[in-house]
Order: sequence, then C-alpha cells, then structure tokens
Amino acid sequence: MNRLLNFGVYCWSWIATLGVFLVVGLLLSYLLAQGLPTIGKELFFGDAPAWEAIFGQVRVWDALWPACVGTLFLVLLATLLAVPIGISSGIYLACFAPKSFKRVLSLLVELLAGTPSIVMGLFGFAFILFLRNTFFPDANTSLLLAAACLALLILPYLIFTTQAALESLSDEYRLIGPSLGFSQIQTVFHVLLPAAGRGILSGVVLSIGRAAEDTAVIMLTGVIANAGLPQGLFGKFEALPFRIFYLAAEYQTPAELDSAYGTALVLLCLTGMLYGGALALHKTLELRWNQHG
Amino acid sequence: MEPTRMKHQPFCIIKNLQVSFHGRTVLQKINLTLSDSGIVVLVGPSGSGKTTFLRTLNRLNEHYPGYSGSGKIELKLPGSMQDIQDIHSTDLEVTELRRQVGMVFQTPNVLPVSIAQNINLPLKLVTGLDKVEREARLIEVLQEVHLWDEVKDRLKESSSRLSGGQQQRLCLARVLALKPKVLLLDEPTASLDFKASHRIEDLLIELQDRYQIIAVSHSLRQARRIAGQILVMKEGEIEHLLKKEQFEDLEMLQKLLDEIF
Repeated sequence: MNRLLNFGVYCWSWIATLGVFLVVGLLLSYLLAQGLPTIGKELFFGDAPAWEAIFGQVRVWDALWPACVGTLFLVLLATLLAVPIGISSGIYLACFAPKSFKRVLSLLVELLAGTPSIVMGLFGFAFILFLRNTFFPDANTSLLLAAACLALLILPYLIFTTQAALESLSDEYRLIGPSLGFSQIQTVFHVLLPAAGRGILSGVVLSIGRAAEDTAVIMLTGVIANAGLPQGLFGKFEALPFRIFYLAAEYQTPAELDSAYGTALVLLCLTGMLYGGALALHKTLELRWNQHG
Repeated sequence: MEPTRMKHQPFCIIKNLQVSFHGRTVLQKINLTLSDSGIVVLVGPSGSGKTTFLRTLNRLNEHYPGYSGSGKIELKLPGSMQDIQDIHSTDLEVTELRRQVGMVFQTPNVLPVSIAQNINLPLKLVTGLDKVEREARLIEVLQEVHLWDEVKDRLKESSSRLSGGQQQRLCLARVLALKPKVLLLDEPTASLDFKASHRIEDLLIELQDRYQIIAVSHSLRQARRIAGQILVMKEGEIEHLLKKEQFEDLEMLQKLLDEIF
C-alpha cells in the first residue's frame, strides 16, 4: 500500500512538472510562431528611419519603439523607487521590529499585497484629482505617477522576500556577527544581507516581471496609445503591455493582431533582459563581498 | 607573541548569576571564582546550562528571545577586573567585550566567502587595520592554528570547500585575529571525527598559555586531556570545581561523577 502511494506521488510529481514544461513550451512556441514573422524594422519603427527614431529625432507612429522605451523607463523607475524601500522594510521586519509591532506591520504589508492593481491605479488617479483641486491645478497623470503606483504594487514582493530570506538564515549564522564584536548594523549589512542575496534577488526579479506586465495601474495613471518617446518624468508615455492590450482589443486587420504577438514577444525579451541585469548586479555584489578585504 | 600570564590569579568572578528564558530558569545561584590555571572545561548532562553559561561571558544570551538575567560577572580584561554586565560603562561596550572574549561554536560556522575574507572581514570591521597589517595578521593567525600550509595557495577559494576540521580551525583563526584575551569554545569538536578532534585538542593545549580558554566538552576523555580545571554542572548550577589532581585518576573522577549524576 505504502509503496503504491509512493509510486503514485512520484508519478503525479512527474506529470505536474511535465505539465508546467508543456504549458510554457506551448505558450512560447505559439507566441514565436505568431510573433516572430512580424519582428523587423517596421514593427519597431514603422515608416520612420531607424537611427533617427532611436534618438528621438523623428516621431514614430504606430510602432513599438516608444512603447519599448516607455516600459523600460517605467520599470526602471518603479524598481528604483520600490527596491530601497522594500528591502529596507524587509530588513526592519526581520532584524529590528519589536514583536507586537511586527505583527501589525506584516498585516499591513499583506493588505497591500492583496490590493488589486486596478485599485492602485484608481488611487493614483484620485491622488491627481486631489492635487488638481488643491495645490497644483496643472497636475496630470504621468510617467512618475504611474511608476510610483507600480512601486506600491511591487513593494510587498520585495518586503516579503527580503524578510523571508533573512529569517531563513540559521540562528548560529546570525550569531557570527555579534560573537565577533560586530555592531547590529555591521552584522546586517556585512553578514546577513549578502547571505540572503539570492532570496532578495528573486524578489527583485519577481517585481520586475510584475511591473513590466501590469496594465491596469498605468491605464489610469498616464499611459496613452500615441505619446511617442516619454517626455520626462511628468510627461505621458507609451508602454508595451498597454499596446498589446489595445492592439488585441481593437485590431482592424489580421496583421495588426499579429503585431500584438510580436509586441508580446518583445515584452518577454525586455523583461528577460532586465532579469539578466538584476542577476549581473547580484553577481558583482557577491563577488565583491567574497573577495575584497 | 604575548607574554605568559600571571598564573593562579583569579580571572573571572561571578556572583549570584541567574539566567532565564521566557521565565524558565536555566542558570541559578552561580557563585564562582575561576583562576588562571589552564583550560577550564565545563562538563555535565545536556540541558544543564553549559552553553548558556558560556554565553553569559560574552553576553551573547542577550540575542536569544525571552532572555533575562541578574547577578554580577567580572572578567580580567586588559587593565583590571571589569564588570561586563554594566551596560552603562563607557569603558567597555558590548562589541568591545565580544572582541576580547572570542567564541567558537559547536559546528564550524564559516562565512560563505573566501578563506581569506573570513578573517579579513572581521579585521576590517572591528579593528580598522589597514590592508598591509591585515595581510600580516592573516598569515600570523593561520600559522597559529596550523592551517597556513594547507591553505596558503588557495586563500581566494570558498571556505566551504575546507574539511570540517579545517573549517573549525579557520573559525578559531578568525577569532584569534581579533586578539582576544579569553576564548570560549562550545563543544568545538562535537561535529569532527577522532583525528580532527585530536588536532584541535593539541592546538588548544598549545594556545592555553596565550589565552584564557573556557571550553564545553561532551567527552570526559577530552576534558581530562586538556583541562587545568573541570567545572561540573547540573540542572543550571555548578556542582563542583575540580582541580587537576582531583581528575587525574580516571577511576576517582568516574566515581565522583557517578555520585553527582
């Protein structure tokens, strides 16, 4: 009986793993089949000459380039806003927070994690309305507002993964710092954080992916279909997920729908590149911790 | 090399020490004067408070949840006897106390970095020595624990590739690099095989003239081999402080311990 059960569990794990591979494989191959033929100069720059378009000397219409730049800026800005706050909060929760306060804080972070992204967008939108009616009549939805709302959305991932990575270190490991006469801050930054680096990195990767794909937040906070390259922090912008959304929803010709697949493929690659960047940054930091006295 | 210390002088005076965690008493009624007569080895059944006792001497218990403690502990640190629990003392901050009272744990807990960095990082953070001095100190302590010949060509390799015994000697070197006065060792050979244990024991015997060593041991054989005095603990109290002549005869010691436990 026991052996049968073991065999059953074994088989089921295999099937489940295979299922994941199958689903991801299917998705990717479908996306590649539909999207790859559309990838080319025209998808990115339309009728505009490539070099001039890249440097913003000519305006690009009905093509991807402004949305690529928009998404890249948006994700970088949101990550830049969220990572320092998220990681610091995680450190506070894991290493410094008094027990009772920690419970309250964790509840608040869970609440934030459970907030649907459309609500986050609505919050940003309402905030702009408030500013317009009070101190800044000229306030408008913009890249900065969208990035700030996205930062709120990804904050819980960063906090939870940092906290979990730090708390999973063994008690003996935590005591190395104090036993050698390190101050608490030195222990956190020179012993605990580097050892928790891999876990924290996974949080950063997760939040990059989340920030890159979210459409609901940016729809209410500053994305528009034909903004061109982002004109600074307070300007409107284009973004890849929003472009996929409206191409798929309002396509006029089959070719337009195909270009949505192409856009999805580009979004996937862009996210992959950002992951790569995060990984490279982590490797550099780890190497520095490892080797330099 | 440090000069040999004054022998048979008290180096640790403890009065009315009591420690509890979450209200459960772990150490109680401890009044003790330890003198400088070789390695002090703590023996006793598990749960008798040996490790907790060790951790009172560098105040590491304060990092465990639910700790509360009372009593007075004075240690002989450079200068004079100092009250180590006096948190208002500006002369002796807890970080400085822990530098002077180094600790090696039961299982080797190297940092997951290179061999050299394991010693360099604490040196850099705690002592503020410059690079040249740090390198000199690194070589000095690795030689002191007889690890230098084994690792001199692979200082940049990860410390996790060392064997258990080598890792434990690296941990010891890491502590010695900070020039402590007292060494606390919590069953330092518990996770090692016979040969590696023997090596660490030889090392401790060698080091006992330079540092005041207090070690917890799980083996009576080991205790007799390295100890200058044996501290027997039971249920959070000190039952006996045995001088060398009292435990040289194994039969007598066994009889005594049978009576206690």
